[in-house]
Amino acid sequence: MPLTINPPGKKIEQGDPARIMILEEAINFLKNNPPFHLLEEPVLKDVARSLSMEFYPRGSVILKQDGPPSEAVRIIKKGSVKILMRTEGEMDSVIDFRGEGDSFGFVSLVAGDRQKTTVIAADDSVCYILGRDRALRLIEANPAVAEFFMSHLTRFVDRTFEEMRGRRLSYSGTDRLLFTTPAGDIAKEVITVSEDTTIQEAARVMTAHSISSLIILNGSNVPAGIVTDRDLRKVVANARSLTEPVKYIMSISLIRVDAGDSCFEAIMKMIRYNIHHMLVIKDGELKGIITNHDLLLLQGTSPLSFVTDIEKQKTVEGLAPVCAKMNNIIGLLIQEGAKAGSVTGIITEINDRLLKKVIEIAEEEFGHPPVPYCFIVFGSEGRKEQTFKTDQDNAVIYADTSSAVAKEEAKRYFGALTVFINDSLAQTGFPSCPADFMANNPKWCQPLGSWKDYFEKWITRPMPDAVLKSLIFFDMRPVYGKFSLCDELRSFYFQLLAKNKIFLGHMANMIVRNSPPIGFFKSFVVEKSGEHKNEFDLKLRGVMPLNDIVRLFALESGVKLTTTLDRISALKARHPVVREYHDEIVHVFELIMMLRMHCQYEQIKEGRSPGNFINPDRLSNLEKKSVREAFHLISKLQGMVVEMYKPLIV
Amino acid sequence: MLFFQRKDKSLLQAIEDAEYTVLDTETTGIDPQKDSIVSFGAVKMKGGRIDIGSSIYRLINPSRGINHSSIVIHGITPSDVAEEPLIDAVLPELAGYCGNNLIIGHFISLDLKFINRELKRIGRTPLKNHLVDTCRIYEWLKSNEGSFSRHYSGRRDDLDLFSLAREYDVPFAEGHNALGDAFITAQLFQKFLSRLPGSGVKTVQDLLRIGKA
Repeated sequence: MPLTINPPGKKIEQGDPARIMILEEAINFLKNNPPFHLLEEPVLKDVARSLSMEFYPRGSVILKQDGPPSEAVRIIKKGSVKILMRTEGEMDSVIDFRGEGDSFGFVSLVAGDRQKTTVIAADDSVCYILGRDRALRLIEANPAVAEFFMSHLTRFVDRTFEEMRGRRLSYSGTDRLLFTTPAGDIAKEVITVSEDTTIQEAARVMTAHSISSLIILNGSNVPAGIVTDRDLRKVVANARSLTEPVKYIMSISLIRVDAGDSCFEAIMKMIRYNIHHMLVIKDGELKGIITNHDLLLLQGTSPLSFVTDIEKQKTVEGLAPVCAKMNNIIGLLIQEGAKAGSVTGIITEINDRLLKKVIEIAEEEFGHPPVPYCFIVFGSEGRKEQTFKTDQDNAVIYADTSSAVAKEEAKRYFGALTVFINDSLAQTGFPSCPADFMANNPKWCQPLGSWKDYFEKWITRPMPDAVLKSLIFFDMRPVYGKFSLCDELRSFYFQLLAKNKIFLGHMANMIVRNSPPIGFFKSFVVEKSGEHKNEFDLKLRGVMPLNDIVRLFALESGVKLTTTLDRISALKARHPVVREYHDEIVHVFELIMMLRMHCQYEQIKEGRSPGNFINPDRLSNLEKKSVREAFHLISKLQGMVVEMYKPLIV
Repeated sequence: MLFFQRKDKSLLQAIEDAEYTVLDTETTGIDPQKDSIVSFGAVKMKGGRIDIGSSIYRLINPSRGINHSSIVIHGITPSDVAEEPLIDAVLPELAGYCGNNLIIGHFISLDLKFINRELKRIGRTPLKNHLVDTCRIYEWLKSNEGSFSRHYSGRRDDLDLFSLAREYDVPFAEGHNALGDAFITAQLFQKFLSRLPGSGVKTVQDLLRIGKA
């Protein structure tokens, strides 16, 4: 015989300390983790009360790709999860890790169709579970919370980057500038009606003004929503009465942009929320509306009109302030969650453009070159992997000359030209290369024939020191001038390499000496003394060993690409190690690059100059764990290099 | 007949789907015949999911002295509860809260002895819910993991709630509180639940076989 059931928790005293304890724990947790830290205390309490808690042993599948959509947002209280995605015909690959305080499951909850990723507990993990209904109510009432969750939704910059590559940055000089134009400048005047206007009247107003959207004001003349062509189509489709007030069909428009925000920010929001109209607010009041069409007009054919800023300059002095904005833009990209490969790609595109501009200015100064030449970059620039701090690594290959007089003239011309170029680059914020790998060093400003001699000497008579020095030259990439000079040199050394395998042995020998900082007991080995005590060099111990291994494999397999990620993807079909570890290598590379950029960005924000040293204590547990795993992979790969090249290693 | 059919069906329910009330009480002493309840706390679970907002906690005036040794354990003094309702007023609420759930607790049979004695005294039906003891599940899991372990950790003093919490990485603060302990027990039970199906314990019936108090 069941007893009368009282609704649990109904008669409980507010101040009861023990009663509050479980809730208090949840509230405190939420309070310290975005986006919940934005919530007011009463809302927070209510949210906490609706939570449940679940335990997932390491390895258990929490959400499954193509399975039913997530019925909740899960917030990791303890432990961590990895997120995997399977693309057509491919294996699952890890695309993300989430740790304590992070959440997941939001996207499929909102989209509601099917789960797009698989989520697996990477550790024994405990999650708070925020049910679908409560989560949706929370988002509706709190735009900031919505914004936070949505930011996981679209990796905007990756898309931008793809688009940019697709269009090869064709642009016209009349473009207005995406990064510098305030949204308010292109906002159109808004047409408004009150929320009690009938649907029919609203449609009439839209037709009369030839507009596709109408802003609806509430009783206090505050914008309450928006009606677009889309909404009117729905009215017709559902045969709704045209005399109903328009407020019943309007979309509540939560997404606004400040008139002072740049159009770049506006377009990011639009893409993120998949909307086509956005209200522009100035000093708290409705200033106007912008549509995706307006932004498309503005951006012309290039989403990154930043480069047109560079293009417009006529002098080196004019370039400097433009370049000063670079760090902010990179910061923005990083905050937006762009992948490392995309960020470095964008930096490279911009730097290349800057370099070309500088060379153009130089040519105007010194006149036409006596013989064709190619300006090449190498090192991280050659691999398109520049981050914040980018030393100059560049050189000039010029065409061979027939007479001694012509040779002398070329030497004199390119000598003067390169000094100007290197100085100008230094002025615009690219520090000189400490090892003097620069075009203005006569040694690295040579006719093609001399360059061939260099490579021949390195490859056929390898000396440890020379091998080490030559490594970065194998990442050379033409930026300006006659690209065929660079291509010819590359073909030349690939032919030599094919006949001189022993060089690869020397190279292998060289690169396995630089081991990642992992001690036997899985703890970090850090610098023991000096300025960077208790820190480790992420570039030297992480990025470089991986670059070196991938370069070695590329040279061995005849892959002529220079970007590490491109090399990895080309090697997938050609090299047994990469075939087996492709996904891991890509993931680790992305991870280390990203970590390096985040750290450098932090350093810049703290007013320090960006470096490569990292203190493990400043990493989160998840980051530490990932870095450890990354270093283990590098170690493992180095072990394989030793095995494979053992016959060649002297 | 009908009764048995329904009962059978609920016994075959998967442990991931069953509903549980995880319960703990604090008392004036350890004698179920003489001592009284000063507080109880409980939280609900549906399968492995702990419902944070469902918790219930009551302080009770035991209308008798509290043993000093008990005050040390739970920190509840006679003056703390002087103004609280008598057990007669709150027990029906607890019974209602438990409903038909399986009741889970650490050495839960002891808690039930106190509760049912009081229920009988006030003329109400004692709780007949199935009882599952987390300590028994622990022992079963240990013995199931290998003959060594039983020998290893079968010592009585290792079986208290906090030792198990420590072993299973469940956070806890020193000092006993009925709701806090119920929450720890729930988290412990949550971890057990994730292991049990792999060891062949899949239905409520299986769970009772290994953990019935």
